[in-house]
Amino acid sequence: MGGHPFLADGVDFGDVILAVVLALVALVLTLVMTMLMVWFERKVVGRLQNRIGPNVAGPFGLLQTMADGMKLLFKEDLIPAKADKVLFVLAPFLAVVPAFLTFTVVPIAGDFSNGGSGSSTLPGFLGSREFLWQVADVPIGILFFLAMSSLAVYGIVLAGYGSGSKYPLISSVRATAQAISYEAALGLSLAAVFLVSGALSTNQIVLNQVAEGYGGFNFTRWNVVTTGLIPFIVFLIAATAELNRPPFDLVEAEQELVGGFHTEYSSFRFALFFLAEFMNTVTMGGIIVTLFFGGPSGPQLLPLGAFMGFIWFFLKLMVFLFIFVWFRATLPRVRYDQLMDLGWKVLIPISLAWLLMLGGLQLVRSGDLSFVDSTSADLVIVIALGLAIGLLGYAMLNAAIRTSRSERLAEEGLKLIAPKSQDSESLAGHQTGTTQGGH
Amino acid sequence: MMSSALLAIQSTNPIALTPNELWVINTFFYVIAAVGIVAALKMVTTKNVVHAALYLLVVLTVVAATYIVLGAEFAAATQVMVYIGAVMVLLLFGVMLTRAKIGDDGDLDYDSKWIGGLSAVSMFAVMGYSLWEAFGTDELPADMAVQRTGQVANSIFSQYIVPFEALSMLLLAALIGAVVVARRD
Amino acid sequence: MAQYLPVLALLLLGSGFAAINLVVSKLVSPSRPTEEKLAPYECGIVPGREPPHRFPVRFYLIAMLFIIFDIEIVFLYPWAVANAGLGRFGLVAILIFSALVFESFIYLISKGALDWGTLQVNRRLSPMVNEDRTVESTVRKVGLVGRFEEVESLKDALIDGNAATDSVPEQDGAAA
Repeated sequence: MGGHPFLADGVDFGDVILAVVLALVALVLTLVMTMLMVWFERKVVGRLQNRIGPNVAGPFGLLQTMADGMKLLFKEDLIPAKADKVLFVLAPFLAVVPAFLTFTVVPIAGDFSNGGSGSSTLPGFLGSREFLWQVADVPIGILFFLAMSSLAVYGIVLAGYGSGSKYPLISSVRATAQAISYEAALGLSLAAVFLVSGALSTNQIVLNQVAEGYGGFNFTRWNVVTTGLIPFIVFLIAATAELNRPPFDLVEAEQELVGGFHTEYSSFRFALFFLAEFMNTVTMGGIIVTLFFGGPSGPQLLPLGAFMGFIWFFLKLMVFLFIFVWFRATLPRVRYDQLMDLGWKVLIPISLAWLLMLGGLQLVRSGDLSFVDSTSADLVIVIALGLAIGLLGYAMLNAAIRTSRSERLAEEGLKLIAPKSQDSESLAGHQTGTTQGGH
Repeated sequence: MMSSALLAIQSTNPIALTPNELWVINTFFYVIAAVGIVAALKMVTTKNVVHAALYLLVVLTVVAATYIVLGAEFAAATQVMVYIGAVMVLLLFGVMLTRAKIGDDGDLDYDSKWIGGLSAVSMFAVMGYSLWEAFGTDELPADMAVQRTGQVANSIFSQYIVPFEALSMLLLAALIGAVVVARRD
Repeated sequence: MAQYLPVLALLLLGSGFAAINLVVSKLVSPSRPTEEKLAPYECGIVPGREPPHRFPVRFYLIAMLFIIFDIEIVFLYPWAVANAGLGRFGLVAILIFSALVFESFIYLISKGALDWGTLQVNRRLSPMVNEDRTVESTVRKVGLVGRFEEVESLKDALIDGNAATDSVPEQDGAAA
């Protein structure tokens, strides 16, 4: 179950060669896709801001990223005098290697139509090995992605601490707090996908979204529908925050932190951070497509076999990459307290409540949870119960927020030279009074 | 539903290991174990708090790799997510909110380190002896079944249900501790 | 476990890619360090203060809260995968567990662990200031002074239809 068929029973020399070839293809593919992503982002943002964007290097400026990379290669590589040299050198690796590895669990092609499992077979002269169109299909699948994003935090922490400079340090602490806050929301929204798929492996998750009908395509089977939209929205917001992309790019808020955690980096070390950032964006798009939009599955419009899967994957991926760029061009940066409030007080409670509700509904449909005889009445009861529990949770959360606020008000009130009636109610009355007076 | 069928397939999926593969796995284990031991020693001898935390990170990663070698992949993912992703971040924040000094702390030493070393050695002896007593020369079955997440769930929600629920109380206690540490006055 | 072979291969290739590029960069790039270049970046001025030694304790609380949710998530995953097989018992168990974790979360929030930044509140700074002094009464809107009626008529025109909209902005510009 799961995994590359050719690695399932014993490993011989040919298997090792195939594994290395897969890894090599993935390396080249991620680098090319990252390069194109950087170009795409600059071009689209340029167009959205009434500019042309890169248009000199290569056709349509496609080679601009390559040119920038080459330029960085020839730039002077500085290690600040106050830096912790070992950590300073190690940090770019810790940023870029998890970015490469996360890509391993994304299925990028394969024929899932007409009951296909998405695996392909090498031609006979290469050993007739069966393989999947992803670098690795580990049984823990998406957990591998979460583990890698846990590791990626250390690239930022070490860069910030190792630079021996104040802005990178502040930025790295901020970034870490942001990353862990949104990782919790990310993890909770993922659980809804596991609930409907009953599996962690990405191949299984894709297979579970493929219908038996026409060409294996039926978008009501996509997890975005079966999990009821909320987990997808939470995941998209949390993913944007996890990527440190606008509007959640407080890590590199130029006005306050210069360049963020990589302020002190120059030359190719800086390029590695840049590469990791965009590679993560592409991979995150791929993960969203895999989890919620059926991955590379789709009807075989042209008889291309596994390559048709790649076309579908690419089209779906482009939608999300465009959305990420669109966010950047449209939304203003949020404030730090808004960021934390959104993550902890909105996204996490909503996704937790939604997950438990989905679990209950699943049990009703499978007949494990029944209060009365009819299934539809049971569904209504479970939804009502879920709503009641959710409202109770919401009331508790609200009460907690109000408690902490009133405590802070009392604390600040002591320091103020203010009239005695300084509670919130009289404030509200005062405000409305003056608004009327102004007219 | 589909998942119950999946579970049935997953639980009967023994992977037989050939002697050659066992050799590869054992070698891999010895390599990562050596890395782990060196990192653990460096962790207690380094004079820089942040370096010590990072050596601890290496040790925890080695533990996760060991879980993978043993076929307990879910435990490995948990190890990375909880220990590396959360506990170490807490530790680093702890260091930074007390003193985020950059560079070596020349005075970072411990007067009674010999006593500490002695207790570490005796701890190692006791644990090693008890492990040896319990398992001796037992070998892992050659048809090592990979621990699937579904199986983990089945044991959590049957055999270990009481510790599982008690854990939430432990977490609450930890949180109250954190609030007390961080109180404003 | 053999499934991790390609991951290992990509790990080595990825770090190799980064390392080779760094070596190439070292070979082809100039190295002319000066004291000013190697100093911490401070927007052009000489660094006057050391990096901050201490960070707010809230970061610590966030990390603590994350540990708790991480542990909850780690238990939610096996439950989510096996929910159909576990049935009602599993759901009740996870509900109790989630309720207890949520309670910890509520406790922490009520203690103000997630209140970042300054308190957002509307208040008068001093009792000496007259209550009638508000944004609307003190801030002069340039271009609208003494032309309140015109603005009102503009509003009316907008509500009634587009009839007057063409002429009013012109008057606006002339008055300014």
